[in-house]
Amino acid sequence: MPRVNKINQPLDSYKGGKSTLCPGCGHDAISNVIIKAAWENSIAPEGIAKMSGIGCSSKTPAYFLQQSHGFNTAHGRMPSVTTGANVANKNLNFLAVSGDGDTASIGIGQFIHAIRRNLNMLYIVENNGVYGLTKGQYSATAEEGSRKRKGAPNELKQIDLCAMAINLGCSFVARSFSGSRKQLTALIRAGMSHRGMAIIDVISPCVTFNNNEESYKSLQYVKNNNEELHGLDYIPHFNPIQEIEVPSGGYKEVKLHDGSYLRLETISEEHDVGSKKMALDALREAEEKDKHVTGLLYFEEGIPTLDETENLVDTPLSELPEELLRPNKKSLDDLLTKFRA
Amino acid sequence: MGKIINDFTINIATANGTGSQSANLILLNALFRMGTHASGKNLFPSNIAGLPTWYIIRVSDYGYQAPGGKTNIQIAMNPDTWVEDIENLEPNTVLIYNTDTRLPVDREDLILYPVPMGTMGRKINPKLAKLVANMIYVGIVAEMLEIPQDILEEAIAKQFGGKEKAIQINSQASISGREFFTNELNKADNYYVEKREFDKNQFLIDGNEAVALGCIYGGINMLSWYPITPSSSLAESIDAYVPKLRLDKDGKSTCAIIQAEDELAAVGMVLGAGWAGARGMTCTSGPGISLMSELIGLAYYTEIPSVIWDVTRVGPSTGLPTRTQQGDISMLYEASHGDTQHIVLIPGNVDECFEFGWKAFDYAEKYQTMVFGFTDLDLGMNLWVSKGFDYPDEPLNRGKVLKTKEDIEKIENYGRYRDVDGDGITYRTLPGSGLEPIVSRGTGRDEDGVYSEKSDIYRSNMERLRRKIEGSRTDLPQPVLREEKEKELGIIYYGSMENTIQEIDDILEATGMKVSQCRVRALPLSPEINDFIRRHKKIIVLEINRDGQMYGILRKEIETELVPKLHSVAFSDGLPPKAIEYAEAILAKLEAFEI
Repeated sequence: MPRVNKINQPLDSYKGGKSTLCPGCGHDAISNVIIKAAWENSIAPEGIAKMSGIGCSSKTPAYFLQQSHGFNTAHGRMPSVTTGANVANKNLNFLAVSGDGDTASIGIGQFIHAIRRNLNMLYIVENNGVYGLTKGQYSATAEEGSRKRKGAPNELKQIDLCAMAINLGCSFVARSFSGSRKQLTALIRAGMSHRGMAIIDVISPCVTFNNNEESYKSLQYVKNNNEELHGLDYIPHFNPIQEIEVPSGGYKEVKLHDGSYLRLETISEEHDVGSKKMALDALREAEEKDKHVTGLLYFEEGIPTLDETENLVDTPLSELPEELLRPNKKSLDDLLTKFRA
Repeated sequence: MGKIINDFTINIATANGTGSQSANLILLNALFRMGTHASGKNLFPSNIAGLPTWYIIRVSDYGYQAPGGKTNIQIAMNPDTWVEDIENLEPNTVLIYNTDTRLPVDREDLILYPVPMGTMGRKINPKLAKLVANMIYVGIVAEMLEIPQDILEEAIAKQFGGKEKAIQINSQASISGREFFTNELNKADNYYVEKREFDKNQFLIDGNEAVALGCIYGGINMLSWYPITPSSSLAESIDAYVPKLRLDKDGKSTCAIIQAEDELAAVGMVLGAGWAGARGMTCTSGPGISLMSELIGLAYYTEIPSVIWDVTRVGPSTGLPTRTQQGDISMLYEASHGDTQHIVLIPGNVDECFEFGWKAFDYAEKYQTMVFGFTDLDLGMNLWVSKGFDYPDEPLNRGKVLKTKEDIEKIENYGRYRDVDGDGITYRTLPGSGLEPIVSRGTGRDEDGVYSEKSDIYRSNMERLRRKIEGSRTDLPQPVLREEKEKELGIIYYGSMENTIQEIDDILEATGMKVSQCRVRALPLSPEINDFIRRHKKIIVLEINRDGQMYGILRKEIETELVPKLHSVAFSDGLPPKAIEYAEAILAKLEAFEI
């Protein structure tokens, strides 16, 4: 018998179709983490909605969670489609995958406004600094001076999606690396437990177009220049005494919406995840040293989500019966009487 | 000269932002309450304050609703348009003008009623003098036309719904206007209003509010919108009605309203809502449709129920943003890249705005596709007569949605895009159900919804999509036909031209010809239209755009042998159509082709 999770599902229930990405692509590593995280969190796969835009990253929803409905929308439009789906059925667990072209260029407006509305969703950016499907043009997250496999170094300043999200008031902002499996798993599991918008910007090397040593987003460069803010462990609400080694040094715990915890183990200087200033300083300092800072940058609990500000009925709108959708005849008669007065 | 009763056009020239709108609506409403067929057209600028605005009221015992061919009574309030407002008037036109502008009037061939409206307004309320001045001309006109004060008082009360102070000031101003007319002026014109039997069922409403109510009764679950004239008031009307009609017993809402960051996002939200099983809708105008076109194609191809109302304004580009046109019809029909075809509902009056408002959702879910509602600024923002909206006579049609395992087992070899019924409409399951999930996608996919680039699969899928939309031809609102037995000339028209068609018909029939009419109410076209063309000797396709867009659609869709019967009469100047201009254009066309 295969191992099952809390809802009696084997890991296989969370898998997807065969990936068609390049062998060794960072995105596949992330897909595997998503599969594992959803399984470990014991989320019912049918309750998940997989959302994506266009690009290499946005193809991946076909490669995980095949028991979940998904929508591979249009380039840069995933946030708006998710917004509509979110108000239509607020009970769905929205798991979105996007890329740096999809989010930082063509879809940057929708990214910003989805944060503003605080959609209840997990938004993973698979960030490699280049457009893969169109064969290797720089994206807006490529660092100034970084160089891809072919062509001149990138001359423009990068857009830092994490800094932008923090400034916009996003309640869960993290950066990670597709090669840091443990950290990424903890963050994705925590993102799934968060209520409100959780953004995880995952540096995910493009092995084909941007994996040379002059690239700041190559596998080797990120490995050598990854500054982890803290060690991370996820402690699920259904098993609070799960065997997790108690760190010898200092640690802090962040309580998540569903009762789970994210344990932050101090590595060097303590990072206060409740401080926007510290988060932005950490990003700025890393940028100045051409490093990547990873971990949970910022966290805030209790910001109203879109479905709350919309004051929607408890039942998902997609499931309402006719009598709640169409006002009765008397109401129309009364209205007409008023018009005729 | 004898009396001219209930047959004239009033043109009121003001600047926008001066509060003239409520005065004009009071005058219109008073005429309406007299039982006359009165209609009002607001010609306003793309501006908040200070630019010229004209309000045109037509009163006609024949029931004509379009602006008349010429102005009979001109009210001049705006110094900026003073010269042209006055110099274009025909002799013997009545000119009521505000002498406080201190501008000259050098037309001795007009019937002049000089009134110091500013001074009179200041006497009544110094702070609100400008606003009050507008009610002075309402009083003048009422006295001149012999509209009783009690009717005017009713209209004032309706306009200000319970605001006693406003009612009192406006009433006082109108009386002051009346007294001035009686004491200082001598009636030198022949225009009069006579009371007719007032149909108590009638009321005035604009198309945007009618569509909004249709949506409310159609079970709309999500409105996403980006402000754009002339559609904003449709969204704002839904926003106003949701708290009154669409809350549950705990005061929670059954309809989300989201002001989007742009039209790209507005339509994205509609697709998201439709994909997840709710009734999503957005409203916009032509520039918005241009932006939405990308996802309109996605809705068509992924087969997601979606509704968009296009309240058309004058294009191309920013065009004349506050003027009317039927310029988007061909764009809507085939919006987005590749081969697409969309259902378009085309109401021709406010009652149909309500009806198609709720039906749009049923068609969208039944056919799992994009459905457009098509109106224009004239129908959307001007007041039209309604006799009352009919409560929906059929339950919501939620389309082919499988909800249980048993539902799926009943279908042999289920696939999201497998046509088991032969009508091109396939069965879908909803996210959250856990039933036969797929990744919906804009890329090629096979009948099971799995990514595919195979040629034969692509082709058969596109053929099925065509079959699906083809099937709607006889199911959508059918054309309204009014046929003469002679089957001589048939006019095919649509949408807001309905307001003008009777007068056009009367002008043409006065020349001795017999004219049938066919009002198109939906795309794709009903086969009845083909038959109408077949029955008639010659056909004029009448529309409010430059290129004859419906004419183009007809040429493509009717039987080839009938095409030579078709002739296009189409033009647009941004204004609501005037009967005489279109009638003359039809006569010229018939003459030019010797038909």
